[in-house]
Amino acid sequence: MTNQPTAVWDSLKRDAEERRAAARPYVQEGKVVAADDTVALLEAVIRPGDKLNIEGDNQKQADFLAECLCKVDPAKVHDLHMVQSVLSMGTHLDVFDKGIAKKLDFSFSGPQAGRLAEYVREGKIEIGAIHTYLELYGRYFMDLTPRVALTVAVSADKNGNLFTGFNTEDTPVIVEATKFKQGIVVAQVNEIVDEVPRVDIPGDWVDFVVQAPKPFYVEPLFTRDPALITDSQVLRAMMVIKGIYGEYGIQRLNHGIGFDTAAIELLLPTYGEELGLKGKICSYFSLNPHPTLIPAIESGWVKSVHSFGGEVGMEDYVAARPDVFFVGPDGTMRSNRAFSQTAGHYALDLFIGGTLQIDKYGNSSTATATRVAGFGGAPNMGCDAKGRRHATPGWLKCGEEYGIQSELVGDLPRGKRLVVQLQETFREKLAPGFVEELDAVKLAKNANLDLPPVMIYSDDLTHIVTEEGIAYLHKCTTMAERMAAIRAVAGFTSVGMQEDPAETAGLRERGIFKTPADLGIDVARANRSMLAAKNVKDLVKWSNGLYNPPARFRNW
Amino acid sequence: MTDQDKLSGKSFYEATARERARGLVDEGTFTELCGPADRMSSPHLPVLGEAIEFDDGVVTGVGLVGKHPVFVISQEGRFIGGAVGEVHGAKMVGTFGLARQMYERILEEHPDELAERLPAVVISFETGGVRLHEANAGLLAHAEVMDQIQETKGKFPVIAMIGSKVGCFGGMGFVAAATDVVVMSELGRLGLTGPEVIEQEMGKAEFDSADRALVYRTTGGKHKYIMRDCNYLVEDSIASFKEALADVLSKPYDEIVKNRRIGSEELVDEQLDLVELSCEIQPKDARDVWAYFGNEDPAGIPEQTTEEFLRAAKRR
Repeated sequence: MTNQPTAVWDSLKRDAEERRAAARPYVQEGKVVAADDTVALLEAVIRPGDKLNIEGDNQKQADFLAECLCKVDPAKVHDLHMVQSVLSMGTHLDVFDKGIAKKLDFSFSGPQAGRLAEYVREGKIEIGAIHTYLELYGRYFMDLTPRVALTVAVSADKNGNLFTGFNTEDTPVIVEATKFKQGIVVAQVNEIVDEVPRVDIPGDWVDFVVQAPKPFYVEPLFTRDPALITDSQVLRAMMVIKGIYGEYGIQRLNHGIGFDTAAIELLLPTYGEELGLKGKICSYFSLNPHPTLIPAIESGWVKSVHSFGGEVGMEDYVAARPDVFFVGPDGTMRSNRAFSQTAGHYALDLFIGGTLQIDKYGNSSTATATRVAGFGGAPNMGCDAKGRRHATPGWLKCGEEYGIQSELVGDLPRGKRLVVQLQETFREKLAPGFVEELDAVKLAKNANLDLPPVMIYSDDLTHIVTEEGIAYLHKCTTMAERMAAIRAVAGFTSVGMQEDPAETAGLRERGIFKTPADLGIDVARANRSMLAAKNVKDLVKWSNGLYNPPARFRNW
Repeated sequence: MTDQDKLSGKSFYEATARERARGLVDEGTFTELCGPADRMSSPHLPVLGEAIEFDDGVVTGVGLVGKHPVFVISQEGRFIGGAVGEVHGAKMVGTFGLARQMYERILEEHPDELAERLPAVVISFETGGVRLHEANAGLLAHAEVMDQIQETKGKFPVIAMIGSKVGCFGGMGFVAAATDVVVMSELGRLGLTGPEVIEQEMGKAEFDSADRALVYRTTGGKHKYIMRDCNYLVEDSIASFKEALADVLSKPYDEIVKNRRIGSEELVDEQLDLVELSCEIQPKDARDVWAYFGNEDPAGIPEQTTEEFLRAAKRR
């Protein structure tokens, strides 16, 4: 074989240079482009059929660039393949409505889930796949590398050095994938400064910076007002602390979004302390800076927290607790979501969160028949990391108890991640928490998906906690037994009504199902008086005034 | 620890209607009338396929504060947001009737001790006003309660307690305005049109109901205290509300009614002056009004504790 003299190995680079040349008229000093010229800039650097990333996750959003993308001329820019973490703003769908974009690979769509399902049905959007965050990041470096990335930072200097600060989140992974495959990076920033406080993204990885007319949008997604926690949530939290965290000595964990886990956080300094568990559980977290964790941190429970993102109002508190959070030399936290997700996948002993529906086998999903939502990072943490090779006591104990361990690996010792679902048997408007078949199955049909969107599969789920008690599902040896344990905690739902009391009694004897009484929990004590903070103002007091809640959480 | 000790330390904001009713009167003196055992529930809700409560969302009864018979009406926000339906309203009206009978009886049997035995009606509000499922009956109930309040004038006081989750809105905002005394905590909210309804009608730019700091600046206890729509501002505990009630009842009737915000020609003039003033200063936010009345650091007011606020606040 001889080298063909005509082979070209730097076509991507040449193409990028052409695009940058087309954008030159709009560049002012250094890499700065005026906000008014942004639409023209995008028309110059984006080509039909490009894979395009708009940065945005469940917290920060490149909202100005997303608005500008909606204003480009569809005759010039069309058939884009959007590869992005989240669809959460109207503009993220408008680009499909206007014929600018065609295909979509993503991981989460929260507020736009209904509209997304509608567009898929109408043929306006072709969905590639719904990923987890880490899975999508992986594909950025495999077969879904963005040609152009529209990113967002707090500030930039004229040479394009970016400060992403407290809300660093997805920026490093997007920029690295795009730039090192000869792509184009455009960043919107809140302000252009002479010198950034810290270089989060080096300037030579960034092609253009635009000062947006207003600061980028950030959603305070992880703030839960303790005033809205119910007595039933307090009961479940007590069961989790005593029957799972205490039982397995869980030191390293993640808490999902929700009032159930907020209740657990607020019971650590009260009920946890009373059980003598301080120092024995909950020392290390992979977790956003939840305001409800403040009382536990202040009481000395928490050694370390690495965060996926920032949380509005927690900036000063986090900066003042560098022993606990990951704070940079400039005094500001950096949250790199890819690393936190990696920790969440490999270094956790336990994942716990809420869900909408659990089926009779133990598969769970937050999808409904008419909303294509996705799950973000939950499935990466809510699964047993098969590549894990280090041992911790809780992980080993769960493996020892695993009912089919010997069927899988013979007599070798192996641990198992605890994956816990907190569930109310009936949620708002009497929607059952346990169902014969997940709505996700209907959704897959409605939206032409290859797979029903399942958040956590039955084989990964180890525990279900409801007001009825805890099902220790991993101890079961057969699917029939697992289904019986699910019926035992499913209350008066159609699944729970099929419970056979004799069978449940047998499960109780074997410790597969435990009621609050079996766990030694006095149900009469399970009320809001157990919470270390009862409202947002209490959290501010716990933080010595360092927590500065956003207006929507201030009832004063 | 007795039951009452537990209750009195409890947050008024967090307390159920029944806990508030029991905690506002002297320990062990509360008798609930038309309680859940009597099963006086809404005849309208089952027709609509909605759940009922056996007390229709309001606790009514009588207890003592010193020698004063205190007739308590306590609304429960956890049931349809404390909305007033037919039975709920009838229980309120009936309570006023009993108070009036008690007044007549004391007048007859203890004419010399009228001052120290003077009855009172206390309404612990937690409501958005009319229950839309039975709106006609609910509206009528509002009118009847207003009528009942007028019947008490010159006889015995009616006292409003506002510090629960739902606040006091809609038609019941009018009812609260018509009472003799208003006691609030800073967590209490009082108004006519609720924040969500304002946003729905006038748009988010006019009033963002998700901005709770804004909602509290506009309808919360501190603002109402500065504007003198509220007479007493107390800490958020059942004990503090009870203490304010005992304080009010220790005063002569003529003194108590000086707390009214409406109900005389002078007071109407005063309210009209306020309307004129608001046209003049065109406030964009409650903070502008606080500054107008001489509060030097209006932005700092929400952050003050109740105690700090009471020490420093300049009222209109």
